[in-house]
Amino acid sequence: MSLRGTRSWRVGIAAVAMVFASGVAAQAQNLLVPMDDSQRNHLKAYGVAYLALKTGQKAEWLLNYRGGSFLLPDAPDLRRRAALDGVSVEPISDGAVASARAEIAGANMDVVVLERAPKIAIYRPANQPPWDDAVTLALTYAGIDFTSVWDDDVMRGDLSKYDWVHLHHEDFTGQFNKLFLAYRDAPWFVAQRERDIAMAKKFGLPDVPALKKAVADNIRGFVDRGGFLFAMCGATESLDLAIAAFAVDIAGPFSDGTPPAPDADARMVWSRTLAFTGAHIEPSPYINALSDIDGHQVNVPARRQPLGTFSLFDFSAKLDPVATMLVQNHRTVVPDFYGVTTSFNRAVLKPSVTVLAAEDGAPWTKYVHGDYGKGSWTFLGGHDPEDAQHAIGSPPTDLSLRPNSSGYRLILNNVLFPAAKKKPRKT
Amino acid sequence: MAARRNAPLLRALRAACACVGASLTSAPTVRAQTATTTAAAADTTDQLGIALDAEEKGELKRAATAYRAVLQRALVPGGGEGDRIALSLLGLERIWAETGARDSIVPVVQRVLAIRPTDPVARGIQLRSLMSLGRDEDARLAFISWRRAVGGDGAPFREYARLLLAAGRAQAADSILGEAGRLLGAAGMIAGEVAQLHVALGRWSAAAVSFRDALSNQPYLESAAMFALQRAPAPARDSIRTVLIAAPISLLPRRLLSSLELAWGEPRRAWTALSTVSVDDSTAAAWRDFAERAEFAQAWPVARDVWMSVLERRGDLEAQRHAAQAALNAGDAVAALDLATRAPGARQRDLAAVRVRALLPIEIAALGELGRAKEAQARLDASASMLDEPSRAAMTRPLVSAWLRSGDLTRARAAVEGTDLADDDETAGWLALYEGDLAAARKHLVRADTKRAELVDALGLLARTRATESTGLGQAFMALAQRDSATASARFVALADSLGEAAPALLSLASRIEAAKSRPVAEGKTPVALTAMTLWDRIIASYPKSPEAPEALLASARALRDAGSVPAAVTRFESLLVDYPESALLPQARRDLERLRGQVPPDNRFQS
Repeated sequence: MSLRGTRSWRVGIAAVAMVFASGVAAQAQNLLVPMDDSQRNHLKAYGVAYLALKTGQKAEWLLNYRGGSFLLPDAPDLRRRAALDGVSVEPISDGAVASARAEIAGANMDVVVLERAPKIAIYRPANQPPWDDAVTLALTYAGIDFTSVWDDDVMRGDLSKYDWVHLHHEDFTGQFNKLFLAYRDAPWFVAQRERDIAMAKKFGLPDVPALKKAVADNIRGFVDRGGFLFAMCGATESLDLAIAAFAVDIAGPFSDGTPPAPDADARMVWSRTLAFTGAHIEPSPYINALSDIDGHQVNVPARRQPLGTFSLFDFSAKLDPVATMLVQNHRTVVPDFYGVTTSFNRAVLKPSVTVLAAEDGAPWTKYVHGDYGKGSWTFLGGHDPEDAQHAIGSPPTDLSLRPNSSGYRLILNNVLFPAAKKKPRKT
Repeated sequence: MAARRNAPLLRALRAACACVGASLTSAPTVRAQTATTTAAAADTTDQLGIALDAEEKGELKRAATAYRAVLQRALVPGGGEGDRIALSLLGLERIWAETGARDSIVPVVQRVLAIRPTDPVARGIQLRSLMSLGRDEDARLAFISWRRAVGGDGAPFREYARLLLAAGRAQAADSILGEAGRLLGAAGMIAGEVAQLHVALGRWSAAAVSFRDALSNQPYLESAAMFALQRAPAPARDSIRTVLIAAPISLLPRRLLSSLELAWGEPRRAWTALSTVSVDDSTAAAWRDFAERAEFAQAWPVARDVWMSVLERRGDLEAQRHAAQAALNAGDAVAALDLATRAPGARQRDLAAVRVRALLPIEIAALGELGRAKEAQARLDASASMLDEPSRAAMTRPLVSAWLRSGDLTRARAAVEGTDLADDDETAGWLALYEGDLAAARKHLVRADTKRAELVDALGLLARTRATESTGLGQAFMALAQRDSATASARFVALADSLGEAAPALLSLASRIEAAKSRPVAEGKTPVALTAMTLWDRIIASYPKSPEAPEALLASARALRDAGSVPAAVTRFESLLVDYPESALLPQARRDLERLRGQVPPDNRFQS
């Protein structure tokens, strides 16, 4: 037998021995869902973890352990779901779990118990296909249940039925993202405008800015009472602007018939907002920006900043589990992507805000988190992590071609974060 | 590197430069009258050559110095022509862009414009440079200055709007083009830019209107229109069709629409758009061009119809041959035979031998497809005197196919003997297989040059059995050659019991034959072929460990999905994913399942 042959036999025998030692397959008590580079489908792995919670099973999130893995019971339904979704799972014995726990105890890692499947609502018009909203895309692809809510649901107070609410690129200042000049005749724009005007009328409000401000204030109340809010793209900036502008007109004449108040900046009440303070309102209807919150200003060519990459910060898993959960990833550097609001200038962030990710050396941040009242919120700039230049009319992102997207993982971290058993923050 | 990249451009410029020099030296009268000017111009021409050479060699500093020298002399009153000014300015623009000194061109252009305020090249360079430097306000002022200098010319509007669009500033471009419309009246001269603006804003119908207008006096925009409108999403395409097909009917909009339809995968609609244009030489040329593109797209029924129209209008042999071949490729042997044997039209003056060499192979093949091998043989014999050896050899294969199609293996073998086909492995292999000699078939078919689907099927089956002879298998394949799918399928199924080791492969082949019989009915649904489903179920139940089992699961799941039985289809997709985790078919099954569940975008969102 050749040397190579001898070695391969030894490896084979060792592998067989390991199989018996760890008691895989039929005798395993646990399923480890690795989230490092060995995972074939990171996005659907969240769906498997969610299924465990939905069916009342125990789940643990092993923060910083192999990319933020999940430890689930070795149940037939979970194995089946993993097989269907192409999610890599590793059956492991209690002994192997014990040694993993020992490793976790001695490093910047921690175990977070996930208690129950959160009730999720996405703020989006009914019957809208999921292809233009990164969160809807991610949840649909991962097989995580959600309900769509729209202005009338919010105005009726239905948000209290949910643990987690997501907003995407809605303009809560009621200015239709200032797309009036370019798209005023586009059928989809006309339909959107008419829909919003009818909704405002339904609630006895004079115009769309008034309606959206009322909706924004309901969302603020949801967080204040203990809800979790995740917002992306233009909803981040416009929500806070609408909340701060509850008593002042900041909308252009194309949306409410009157120009913004000349002293709008001075009359903004920033104490009411979640993330931002002291921002300058952009009063010109011809400049496609709402304020100076966004660092990239993609729709204002003279101000547009190029895309770079952003780094996820490393938090202490044992002392700061919430921030650690939100940045679990198999990559620490993620390519940046544009949106109506791409990033958040540091100069306008409230001091209490936790920066989760930012571009090195840039004056802006990408991913921020904070508490508000009894609840908490997370803002992620940009529209679609896998379509950096996404434009109106761009083809939809097919996540089955990007099952290991590090950017989309950030969204899904937020989905499971409300499921975590609350631990007191130690910092 | 930059110089190499620009090499073709530089070569063209040098040629143009030589022409300028040549024209100067071949005009003796002018030369006599303006000796000084000519000398200066000749010197400038030399300098231009030096500049172009230096640029090509990558000696950018030397090239810039030479271009500046050319420009310096050309700007002296009587010192040159606009050509040299333009060439030197463009050269300087290229070089300074390469060396990161783009802003250096701005003062140079300003100096040129002080002397030649309407120079379109200098104006264009000025706008481009200011825009690329991010000096938007200066660019706007430069545009205003250009507009004032040239009065009612649309060039400033066109150039500025184009740059704004390229910079993604659709709103600003909208304003500029709106202003052009107001100031210049008819929007014809900027219709192309207006159309591009509409495209950028997703206003597809308006874009189609603008392109249609533009084509009336700028026909060269047809390609640009094609590439721009091709991107329209499926729901917007009807509005484009409405615009381009509207009366009055003219060739250019219809030709544009036909190109669009082809690009959108609608060859029949493409031909409909073009077929109603009144026939003249341009239309006939457009039809020929379209027919060739339809052939390239393998849209054979459409290609047949187009070539038939060309044949009716023009009556030439080439159109007749293409029409007959397209009909044959479309599976319409009757039409192919009719076209191949049609008498020559009044305009056809081709020699009989030429006609025979062009049309007889198609006629033989069509007769073969129709099972009329004896007629094929007779036609070949009757035309023998007009065929040279290569032509005769080329017709052996269709003749053999004709005999096989009619089930006469003996005559097929006789037709092969003495010809080059006797040494052809594929022919020898098939003949052996039909005779039930599996050993010889295996030996020859594996060496065949082609890898057609039926050959792969045959090789797949032969690889699954150790038998060296099987008359039944030969008869089953013979039935397939005769297009008798019912008999073939029944024989493959019957053989499953006698050729046990190949049973799942035989059943799988039979199931594919049966499944191919299903045709879509209402609402795009295709009813499940019951026999195929029975065979798939038999494979799954009786041979679960065979490679055909996951294949049967996937095929049956797809058939159920296409028939509208989504829950049953989902069950089968899931069964494949869970029970066959090592199957190579998993990615396909998972993707189909995700699509059924609406977890990924549908395939046809941006297709018609």
